[in-house]
Amino acid sequence: MASNAWARSTALLALVVLLTLLPMVLPPFYVRVAMSICLGAGFAVAWYILGGFAAYYSFGHTAFIGIGAFAAALACQAWKAPHWLAQLGIGLGAATLASAAVAAIIAWPILRLRGHYFTIAMLAVALVCAELASAVPAFQGAIGIGLPNIVPLSVRVELFFYWVSLLGFVLTMAVAMAIARSKIGYGLFAIREDEDAAQMLGVPTTRYKVQAFVISAALTGLLGAMFAWNLGYITTDSVFRGSLSLEMIVNCLVGGLGSLTGPLVGAIVMMAVTKLLLSNMLEYHLAFTGFIIIAIVLFTPEGLVGFVRRKRLARQARAEGNAE
Amino acid sequence: MITFVNTLINGILYGGILSIAAVGFSLIFGVMNVINLAHGVFVIGGAYAALVAWTRFGIDPVLALPIVMAAGFAIGATYQRLVIQRAVERGTPVAALLVTFGFALIVINGLNVVFSSTVRNISPSYSFLNLRIGPISLDAVRFVSFLTALALIVLLTLYLRRTRMGRIIRATAQSELAARLCGVDARWVYAATFGVGSAFAAASGVLIGMMLPFTPNDEVLWTVYAFIVVTLGGVGSPAGALLGGILLGLASTFTQTYVGAIYTNVVMFVLLLLMLLVRPHGILGSAFKGSR
Repeated sequence: MASNAWARSTALLALVVLLTLLPMVLPPFYVRVAMSICLGAGFAVAWYILGGFAAYYSFGHTAFIGIGAFAAALACQAWKAPHWLAQLGIGLGAATLASAAVAAIIAWPILRLRGHYFTIAMLAVALVCAELASAVPAFQGAIGIGLPNIVPLSVRVELFFYWVSLLGFVLTMAVAMAIARSKIGYGLFAIREDEDAAQMLGVPTTRYKVQAFVISAALTGLLGAMFAWNLGYITTDSVFRGSLSLEMIVNCLVGGLGSLTGPLVGAIVMMAVTKLLLSNMLEYHLAFTGFIIIAIVLFTPEGLVGFVRRKRLARQARAEGNAE
Repeated sequence: MITFVNTLINGILYGGILSIAAVGFSLIFGVMNVINLAHGVFVIGGAYAALVAWTRFGIDPVLALPIVMAAGFAIGATYQRLVIQRAVERGTPVAALLVTFGFALIVINGLNVVFSSTVRNISPSYSFLNLRIGPISLDAVRFVSFLTALALIVLLTLYLRRTRMGRIIRATAQSELAARLCGVDARWVYAATFGVGSAFAAASGVLIGMMLPFTPNDEVLWTVYAFIVVTLGGVGSPAGALLGGILLGLASTFTQTYVGAIYTNVVMFVLLLLMLLVRPHGILGSAFKGSR
């Protein structure tokens, strides 16, 4: 068992090293695709911390992408740092803190809502944030705000953002895996199965939900700042887009809500399909996403990962049946 | 004082439109417990249908109303039978929620491709008429739309209360199992309910098309407005939708007049959040459940 764990960690480490070095030989377009996968998977995993573990489906997580993006931009405008790493740190730190703070403020009231009501309330939160970002002059959302150029001269731009995004994804995944193995994780699973029963058995449901919500929001904000930096110039419409919330949900759904592999697989599949296969059918993206959602819900509600797993189990069962 | 009265009247008129736009959503939510995220699509779809009727065939929007409603009923009922019902039978309410969302995306994409995302409006010859009562001016189209909306809501109430079909719908909402034991084909009732809800959404779209400029991407707003109206007034009853709609209309116009137009949506969404926290079942409670 112990050697198994060792082998697993070594394989994981090798994978990360490979992922870090791989883009140096890829053409720029594919590096961009890889970067989009990292961000997409990161967002999906961050959403999964609340939506997958506790089954609280947020339709408005783009609020935290936007908050992160604007916090980073405004912080960089306020505090200039001479070194790029310091500037990056200021931006990402501000983004994480701002998202976590907003989440902490709205967590208690909004998490009293369940099911549909929570879902729609989050949608409203995202809309309020977007409207405020445009309406309040200090946020400069209507005209837009730029982020400072921090890419060192010796590094190719797309490589730099790929590495930043990869870092964001690895960090998010590590946090999510740690939560899944922790006491909070088990508490969240209990909430997903039956919140009332969990509460009666003494699980501090509110505390766990608030913690998961704040962590999820903080990570989304962090990744949102990375997303914004890659865009270079942000407006309300580019970072508070409803389609960003949607992407997180669809990625999780396509991959499957059964395990943390789901959001990752979903992000890879969806990104590959939309960026590579449908790259010259841009105007039909939305319809295509719609068809995928309906098809997944109706035909494989357990997602791709769950589907493969079920097939494998069925094959094993059949093989065992033949052996007897 | 005159500003105040004008704002009040405009709020009530706008509220009537919000009510009719939400009443179908409320019915579907109350009877099937499905949140139809494609509701705004039916509203905007109705507006585009009226636009086509007006520009292509020269049919006045008010005359096109019954045709659009019939089309809305047919599309809604089919969509329920083919897609929603299957998702509901999969077990989770979230599955149904997601499916309606997927459907909304497909239609929005289609509308954007066919009509482009340009802002459209329908302006029949009478669209700039103003009725004047002393110092108070009244937009004719808004007034007529309000009366139409009111009439349709009364009609729906009578339909639910007085007809055999209405009774069957209410019975199924109360308990699907019991209704089926009495020989009701629940799936057919759900299809009919969804059809009625969609027809009312499409009708509201026609009225909205005459009053306000619209684009395909407005559908999200109309879905959220419907949700706010239902949350304010209470799920499932036409009266709740009317009350919620008028409250929301007043909140909107008063913010516009006294705070600033850019804050109207913020105020409306904050109102939703507050209401969800204080009394998620709406002012009239579950009026639909109370009436049975």
